[in-house]
Amino acid sequence: MTELQAEQAAAVPQPEAGLQRSRYFDVLIALAAFAVLAILPMLTGSKALLDFVIRCSAFGLFATSLNLLVGYTGLVSFGHGMFFGLGAYGFGLIMQRTGVPVPVAFVATLVITTIIAAVIGAICVRLKEIYFAFVTLAFQMLIHSTILSWVSLTGGDQGLRGGIPRPAFFGIDLSNHVHLYIASCALLVIGLLLMRQIAQSPFGYTLRMIRDNANRASFVGIDVWRAKLTIFVLAALFASTGGIIMALFVSGAYPEFAYWTISGEGIFINMLGGVTTFLGPMVGTVLLLILNDTVTRLTEYYGIVLGIVILFFAIGLRKGLMDFVVEWYTQRRNGPVE
Amino acid sequence: MLEIRSLSKSFGGVKATDNVTLDFADGSLTAVIGPNGAGKSTFFNLITGALKPDSGQILLNGVDLAGRTPPEIVRYGIGRAFQVASIFPSLTVHETMLAAVCADQRRASVLHRRFPLAETRDRAEHAMELLGLVSKRNRVAATLSHGDQKLLDIALALVLDPKVLLLDEPTAGMGTEERWRMIDKVRELWEKQKITVVFIEHDMDIVFKIAPEIVVLCYGRILATGTPEAIRRNEAVIEAYLGSEHHAGAAI
Amino acid sequence: MPQWMLPLDLDALTGCLASSACLVTQTTSGFIIGMLLFLVAVGLTLIFGVLKVVNFSHGAFYMFGAYFAMTAYQFSGSFALAMLCGAAGTAILGLIFERVFMSRVYGADVLMQLLVCYAFVLIFDDVVRMIWGPEFKSMGMPAAFQVAPLFIAGGVVPPYYLLLIGVALAAAVILGLGLARTRIGKVIRAAAHNPGMVSALGINTGLIYGGVFALGGMLAGLAGALAAPVRSLTPGMGFSVLIESFIVTVIGGMGSILGALIGALLIGMIRSFGSLGFPLFTEGLMYLFMVIVLVSRPSGLFGKEVA
Repeated sequence: MTELQAEQAAAVPQPEAGLQRSRYFDVLIALAAFAVLAILPMLTGSKALLDFVIRCSAFGLFATSLNLLVGYTGLVSFGHGMFFGLGAYGFGLIMQRTGVPVPVAFVATLVITTIIAAVIGAICVRLKEIYFAFVTLAFQMLIHSTILSWVSLTGGDQGLRGGIPRPAFFGIDLSNHVHLYIASCALLVIGLLLMRQIAQSPFGYTLRMIRDNANRASFVGIDVWRAKLTIFVLAALFASTGGIIMALFVSGAYPEFAYWTISGEGIFINMLGGVTTFLGPMVGTVLLLILNDTVTRLTEYYGIVLGIVILFFAIGLRKGLMDFVVEWYTQRRNGPVE
Repeated sequence: MLEIRSLSKSFGGVKATDNVTLDFADGSLTAVIGPNGAGKSTFFNLITGALKPDSGQILLNGVDLAGRTPPEIVRYGIGRAFQVASIFPSLTVHETMLAAVCADQRRASVLHRRFPLAETRDRAEHAMELLGLVSKRNRVAATLSHGDQKLLDIALALVLDPKVLLLDEPTAGMGTEERWRMIDKVRELWEKQKITVVFIEHDMDIVFKIAPEIVVLCYGRILATGTPEAIRRNEAVIEAYLGSEHHAGAAI
Repeated sequence: MPQWMLPLDLDALTGCLASSACLVTQTTSGFIIGMLLFLVAVGLTLIFGVLKVVNFSHGAFYMFGAYFAMTAYQFSGSFALAMLCGAAGTAILGLIFERVFMSRVYGADVLMQLLVCYAFVLIFDDVVRMIWGPEFKSMGMPAAFQVAPLFIAGGVVPPYYLLLIGVALAAAVILGLGLARTRIGKVIRAAAHNPGMVSALGINTGLIYGGVFALGGMLAGLAGALAAPVRSLTPGMGFSVLIESFIVTVIGGMGSILGALIGALLIGMIRSFGSLGFPLFTEGLMYLFMVIVLVSRPSGLFGKEVA
């Protein structure tokens, strides 16, 4: 675009950037979304649909938290799934072995996640791009093989069996399907809202600065290592929450929850939905789960179909669906960009 | 007052900065010149913490900053801009300014309000005004022209309210006319902000016209310091420049 | 043993270290694991060195090498032909994979490259499942090697193990000499050092890139073919090898061939002796070792400073 056009574009009043947009707008959207989700059980008796939403909550929290690392900070973690597994196993074990109320186990799991994520993060975040990806992957595998080998605690490759006790608290009975559904939706909406706040807060902009140009960020006075560690731990907490939802849903925990493929799927979900919008990963989650359910019903060669879809997005579109939509929308509004 | 005391740094036996001792008075405007490979950028990198000095002191108002990390040094009040504009390509000009101020005010945790405080906005506004970027506030940095990106880089240093501002070749990669506009801007900043400005410059016409103080570096050592007149007459400087750079010799 | 403790059997480990027979057996098995890993890892490290791409689907070449060798052996009964098919088949596969798919994402970010490779991990595993079936297969020991095992210092060493180590070592030496002495080797090393310079010299970088991928694929395929008589074949067998080769390259230093050799042998020994002392935590030991190396030397034992 020429200088003149640029001046004109700048002269048109544009919505102020994210830093100045009120957070109440997000809260409003979140409440509306929760309301819609909450009346869903009254409209349909379909248990399958509610199950689908619960799974979307678990993976959506996980994938969106991964986007805080990949999309906002430029940290391509290939081991983020370890915190999903950690949440599921941590929560399941605490409930099975101690019998404390659900909220206590929830908080305790998050505390454990914080400690482990801080230790792993402290080692990983100073590594460069590709090394970061593989050291996180190695930690994922370390946790996975610990789960497999520590049979007396984790049940080894059989997983945590015998069900996770879900005693009622504050009138909420998570062994009731609808209660579990509502609780999952609430966790999803609250989780997304908190992550939205992280992304749009000044700290979120610190992350963007690090992603764009970490060297310059350090000359603006930002302690890059500390900021990266902070977001690593925060993202781990939301991934862990996703794992807890999953453990509640299947009433157990299995080594696959901590396997590297969970991380691979998380990355793919982000790719599918797009990393430039906040809700991209959520869209990606829904798409992947639908794809998952349809393809496994039609063919046993799930990998080939999924692989071709990935190739279509990675080589064909070269961006996620939401990225594509946003670009298309802005182009239509502003006319073609050169 | 920025005092450099016997600062040294060598890379594998080559002395890039060799026992440099210099004072920059508060509110001074100094040009650092020297032939290619004289160690000008290394000198800046040492002061800002990008490189750790082998020995020597960097005293800012009596506090030794040698060996500290870049974020610490920035917080003590030494800001810098880079030879190749170093910006945040995906942020708009305004976002860049606000985010930098928030970080500087330590208001950049997850709990801080998205809606920036009046004080934050004022500082961002002021820096954009000083560098003439107000009309481009909503432009994404990557789409700015080369010159505007250099201005944004300087704005990013200035918005942190530094006591000392180091500019590594503010006119690098610019045409003659643009160079003069940029250097006028630098001089204007210096006059308005009353801060210490040190800049590296290759164009001798600019240096001799603008800078009240000149430091000549050669092979990591200080060859001469002084006013433009003194530097013009300095035998060692003439020797070094006539020997290596025709353009500079002509200017002198 | 307390119920919550990790299984640990230090008596077995110290007992083995004291007996020369056990020592020989475990060391040989460590060498086998190490040399196979080296062949896979060296391709990975070469591809990374020259193309700056982490080939996440490299394990698939190992898997295809094994299956190709098994099929060729079943049809021809010739062990040599089986090895040749394993290596040549994967070389062609590597070339096609690079030219048709990977070459499209060189400019893109790491995420995109990982995804393309991830897609092929999924696709290749299913292709193998389609052609050869999902169940465990075994090639069986070739007739020529069905002879009495050797005894070295009391330890049992099957003759095939010696052949395997010999072939892998020969491949390592040929590769090392080839890169150091030949013209094409020099070009490859130059490309690893400075990609722009090679194209400036008028050398077709596409050819070099494809060739390096083919070479890496061939080495992994050879490893798979060599492993076929002593391992069971299953779709997905490539992935654990891939993860282990990653550990090897990361420990040795990305892009370093010597590093890959040392790293592979270290991991081989850890697996072999670790399986005695920590029977269920052998894999965990490898990851732990990798973490320790990376924390103390982020660019690996023989890696250059990461740029």
